[in-house]
Amino acid sequence: MAQIPNLDNAPLNLKSIREQSQRDLVNILKNIRGKKCLVIDPKLSGSLSLIVPTSTLKEYGIELRLLSAEPVQTDCAKVVYFVGPQFISMRFISSHVHDDASKGLQREYFLYFVPRRSVACEKILEEEKVHNLMTIGEYPLYMVPLDEDVLSFELDLAPKEWQVDGDASSLWHIAKAIHKLEFTFGLIPNVRAKGKASVRVAEILNRMQTEEPVSLSDMNIPEINTLVLIDREVDMVTPMCSQLTYEGLVDEFLRINNGSVELDASIMGAQQQDGKKMKVPLNSSDKLFKEIRDLNFEVVVQVLRQKATSMKQDYTEVTTMSQTVSELKDFVKKLNSLPEMTRHINLAQHLSTFTSKPSFLGQLDMEHTIIEAQSYDICFEYIEEMIHKQEPLNKVLRLLILFSVTNSGLPKKQFDYLRRELLHSYGFEHMVTLNNLEKAGLFKKQETKSNWQLVKRALQLVVEDTDTANPNDISYVFSGYAPLSIRLVQNAIRSGWRPMEEILKLLPGPHYETKRGGFSSSPSFDMSQGLSSSIDKVGDGRRSLVLVVFVGGVTFAEISALRFLSAQEGMAYDVIVGTTKIISGNSLAETFSENLG
Amino acid sequence: MANVSVAAEWQLVYNRYYRKPELYQMRWKHIDLSRNKVACAPFGGPIAVIRDDSKIVQLYAESALRKLRIFNSAGVLISETVWKNPGGRLIGMSWSEDQTLICVVQDGTVYRYNIHAELIEPNASMGKECFEENVVECVFWGNGVVCVTEANRYFCMADFATMKVCELARPEVEELPHCVAVIEPKYTMTGSVEVLIGTDAGILMLDEDGVQKVDDTLSQKMAVSPNGNFVACFTHDGRLVVNNTNFSSPVIDESCESALPPEQIAWCGMDSVLLYWNDMLVMVAPQAEPVQYFYDEPLVLIPECDGVRILSNSSMEFLQRVPASTEQIFAIGSTSPAALLYDALDHFDRRSAKADENLRLIRASLPKAVEACIDAAGHEFDISRQRTLLRAASYGQAFCSNFQRDRIQEMCKTLRVLNAARDPEIGIPLSIQQYKSLTASVLIGRLINANCHLLALRISEYLGMNQEVVIMHWACSKITASLAIPDVTLLEILLDKLKLCKGISYAAVAAHADKSGRRKLAAMLVEHEPRSSKQVPLLLSIGEEDTALVKATESGDTDLVYLVIFHIWQKRPALEFFGMIQTRPLACDLFTVYARCYKHEFLKDFFLSTGQLQEVAFLLWKESWELGKNPMASNGSALHGPRIKRIEKAHSLFSETKEHTFESKAAEEHAKLLRIQHELEVSTKQAIFVDSSISDTIRTCIVLGNHRAAMKVKTEFKVSEKRWYWLKVFALATKRDWDALERFSKEKRPPIGYRPFVEACVDADEKGEALKYIPKLVDPRERAEAYARIGMAKEAADAASQAKDGELLGRLKLTFAQNAAASSIFDTLRDRLSFQGVS
Repeated sequence: MAQIPNLDNAPLNLKSIREQSQRDLVNILKNIRGKKCLVIDPKLSGSLSLIVPTSTLKEYGIELRLLSAEPVQTDCAKVVYFVGPQFISMRFISSHVHDDASKGLQREYFLYFVPRRSVACEKILEEEKVHNLMTIGEYPLYMVPLDEDVLSFELDLAPKEWQVDGDASSLWHIAKAIHKLEFTFGLIPNVRAKGKASVRVAEILNRMQTEEPVSLSDMNIPEINTLVLIDREVDMVTPMCSQLTYEGLVDEFLRINNGSVELDASIMGAQQQDGKKMKVPLNSSDKLFKEIRDLNFEVVVQVLRQKATSMKQDYTEVTTMSQTVSELKDFVKKLNSLPEMTRHINLAQHLSTFTSKPSFLGQLDMEHTIIEAQSYDICFEYIEEMIHKQEPLNKVLRLLILFSVTNSGLPKKQFDYLRRELLHSYGFEHMVTLNNLEKAGLFKKQETKSNWQLVKRALQLVVEDTDTANPNDISYVFSGYAPLSIRLVQNAIRSGWRPMEEILKLLPGPHYETKRGGFSSSPSFDMSQGLSSSIDKVGDGRRSLVLVVFVGGVTFAEISALRFLSAQEGMAYDVIVGTTKIISGNSLAETFSENLG
Repeated sequence: MANVSVAAEWQLVYNRYYRKPELYQMRWKHIDLSRNKVACAPFGGPIAVIRDDSKIVQLYAESALRKLRIFNSAGVLISETVWKNPGGRLIGMSWSEDQTLICVVQDGTVYRYNIHAELIEPNASMGKECFEENVVECVFWGNGVVCVTEANRYFCMADFATMKVCELARPEVEELPHCVAVIEPKYTMTGSVEVLIGTDAGILMLDEDGVQKVDDTLSQKMAVSPNGNFVACFTHDGRLVVNNTNFSSPVIDESCESALPPEQIAWCGMDSVLLYWNDMLVMVAPQAEPVQYFYDEPLVLIPECDGVRILSNSSMEFLQRVPASTEQIFAIGSTSPAALLYDALDHFDRRSAKADENLRLIRASLPKAVEACIDAAGHEFDISRQRTLLRAASYGQAFCSNFQRDRIQEMCKTLRVLNAARDPEIGIPLSIQQYKSLTASVLIGRLINANCHLLALRISEYLGMNQEVVIMHWACSKITASLAIPDVTLLEILLDKLKLCKGISYAAVAAHADKSGRRKLAAMLVEHEPRSSKQVPLLLSIGEEDTALVKATESGDTDLVYLVIFHIWQKRPALEFFGMIQTRPLACDLFTVYARCYKHEFLKDFFLSTGQLQEVAFLLWKESWELGKNPMASNGSALHGPRIKRIEKAHSLFSETKEHTFESKAAEEHAKLLRIQHELEVSTKQAIFVDSSISDTIRTCIVLGNHRAAMKVKTEFKVSEKRWYWLKVFALATKRDWDALERFSKEKRPPIGYRPFVEACVDADEKGEALKYIPKLVDPRERAEAYARIGMAKEAADAASQAKDGELLGRLKLTFAQNAAASSIFDTLRDRLSFQGVS
């Protein structure tokens, strides 16, 4: 099965975006004649694999390598680098060139920056005196469609760069990507943003519109009606909670990379038992997965069981009774879904070995206790004990961040105490990680009173008696906790920011709302009607489209919640998610970890 | 028929008519073409005139200094300058395609002038050989020239844009040729220029690679046809022979009355050749008697693609074949539908019923007739005749149901443009055919070059073309020409016009202002540039670094910010640079990110200069690890010295600020830990301590059985009893030293209870050991879970019921789901507790 998702059912023509990227890439490769060695930034190789299958690349006479400090071993006289604007990559490349020169190897070097050339990177090449040896170009890949309704800007470092280093490069990148979408699908008339970075993205986007306008006359009705920008900083609670949807759990325990998960082949019931790995693609091209990905895992198990039973029943019927041809046909059709069934039954079984562990249940318990924010001491002691037991640092950091964020920091004494215990238990090299978390405001000294209680209540974040099987609220994705980020989106789409300004003020960062283009020049005027009025304008039965961009990443569970929302009756809109990267609590905590050693 | 007079001026040549309308009465005074060298640009271009220094002429009341004068085609002076160029006699002068005047002098120097008679630097040269041997003749074509030296060598500059010179093959004959002609590169097979020379041995063809004799004809004058397919030769015995370029099939071989070669020979379109002797112009065409025209003044023939312009001292005429449509309408006795339509209009104007009769006669072919009238109007130079023809067309159109209506409109548009360009003040007498092959955008380019910006703007507006080119050129010319106008005033004048065009590059205009030495104006202009990617580099180049930094930051494009940072970094001393970025958070942060990766020492300087001591401390601390990673350092104790020194330095830097006491303490402890670990490695002779954490060090010590060392580390770092218990329990479990564990449990009542002991035993899968501690657990819930973990369902259930925790029971039931017996225990218990089922 192809790993590249089939985008036929996308609410927006994402296929055209992907095809453009394919063409750009192929053109670059075609223009470099002859045999060549393609050296790809490991981070980029994932994104590229969602654009062009590796087998296609090989058709162009290409040897593939991943960029590392090691010199490139190849017979090709042409070396083509594809890298993001990372300084470390420049050092690798420079050292490769120096290494070749010292060996007397004559090679032609091509360097393609993704998505665009970078002054600072080229400065390093100049300082290393290799700049003039390179043919430098750019490959404008600003976003990758991960699935029918998910676009990733592939900026995994964005939260750290922005919140810790103050490097705003990713914000420009996001704005550029959205602006590119606008060139294809028309100027987005409604923009709503919450959080410092989001508002900045909206500003840059407006600026781009004045610098390089998307002309209004060329387009008919813009395809995307509303853009909602949400800062991860606004809601650091949600990603720190364990996701309980099927897809979310797979990501938590097995890590989904670029739409697929890598597993021991034996888990998937393969014959050979030699510990071979296999890749299982997880996207909506898999019909069954599309059906169950967003469900709470408990329900998934039931659904799979039901399906298996009904299949078995059908089978017995077929073997025992005489069937009409059409009935047989139906049965065969069902049989086609058998491999998908097996795949997910295996996967679910594997997952349940994790979910049934007491430690996992204990952790879930603790997450809910922290969110409830009623029993401070219990939480504190739990975390303290985790540190003493030297449990995996990431796990500790997740709870610590959750704890600190919901309390808007810890009293100085306890803050210092936990930090000291952390350093003693895990080593002083984690000083920088702590410093990063402090700078990002994720684990810090308490300075103001926490308004988590107010937010929680106002937005009904904790929902009692959540029915995970027949959910009527997004809280099912965390079995009782409704993700704050999605509550905000829900409100933004329904009625705009105006009715909820008081609540927004309780959350970090400014908010912003505007109408753009010729639709109305006065921002946020008749927002009380909000989207509903604009839907009426569409009028021809088309569903309107909302682009929700998460600056700093989004979890699978949140995406599931959004899908749930748009599938509700009376919701006349589809949602496309744009994100800097798909994240989980672990990956986010890792982003901020910086090992000195 | 009414229009006999029109055709009366025509000349019949075999089956075709030619006409020779006058375009202009020349506005110039006292210009005698015979005293001057004259270069006329095709497509109605300018005329350059300079006194011919190869002729002896009488000077009237004029200076002995020669003047180069440039006129438009109507003889209106555009510009003039005094010719003072060294290099000897002016040999050849011609206009290039982009209307640069190319002048080649004797020593091979090539001077270039623009239409404003300004010398374009630098001058080019035809090469050393030309300098030594003297140029005697040059032949130009569109964008190149071939020069002949006295030594009969041929040098070619194939493109005035690149100005590269190459020598062609040598013809190996001493005497200079009688005549030279060039076949343009675009018409040759090889793609490079071919030169035909008429010698006593016949016609030779030269190119870069060789010489070839192509014909025996002894030619005295030659001209290559406009499409490069034919050559007209005037032979030594007074014949005009027109042949194809292979010299294989002559089309014309006509005896002329004179054996003297004509002064000029030119093609008139593709149909006929003009020969000019003093006061006589002869037109030769196939199958026709030559036609003679007499002139009492000197002439210059200017070949165009569809005819020849004839310039005399007093007038400019255009000799062309009468276009088919015009012929249909105006030919004497023509009864073509077009002629009848034209006639019908005349009747209509005179209110004669014959108009209707005419129309009825041609009903079927009316569209064709309309079309012909429109076409003929296009070919007319006379405005009133254009009007009449168009009116005829429009009259006819009224009776056509399915005629493309925009044809008339389109022609009106074209004619308006042409008439405007033909105005004597502008002086560009383009025929419609010339206009179409020149294209409107080139015409606009020529107009703006001649500083006719307003007309250019109107035309481009009228034709719906982008006005950016015009406005941009105007703005730049305005800046150049307005040295006396103060910046603010000029800015207003410029902005007033620049705003006409959306998306125009203010940065480009600003760059021009800067080049013209008006930096302040440039700064004011660039302020209006909306595109930061254009604005910022320009601000840097005009030295507005601060503004550049502000604009780059506003744009949100970090790449631009980096551009500015590196620029300032390079240009300014470090301290000044630090000062500039210090107050700007984004610049500061980006610099830090870059320097952190690539300029550590410089970054330390920066932090020191801005008083961020803690950042320096972090850098030092980080360096200490890099030293540690160095494999040389891992066993050599010598390197622990510098490592620890760095950490201690970090410690003291941290301690200088109040806010960083925690970091300071941590660094201190770290240094201490490294020392202790080092000692441990020495005493145990095992390199397993350095760079592990305090907890790990304690565990390692216990596992190694070195309890005293473990105790020492514990006290040294004030490890809490809680942590100590966890560590020691786990370490003993790792060793599987269950006796020691039990002893430890009995040392005193453990401060965190017996849970660690249970967990350690359960994790190690030692049920028996675990059972020693489980009963000691205080909380029944904990007890229940512990029993459950070692699979003792009954005990677990009992404990849980003691805790009265239904939820727990449910969970435990799940754990024992496979075991039916155990599962039923939970069910009964739960029922007994009568809790709501919470699964």
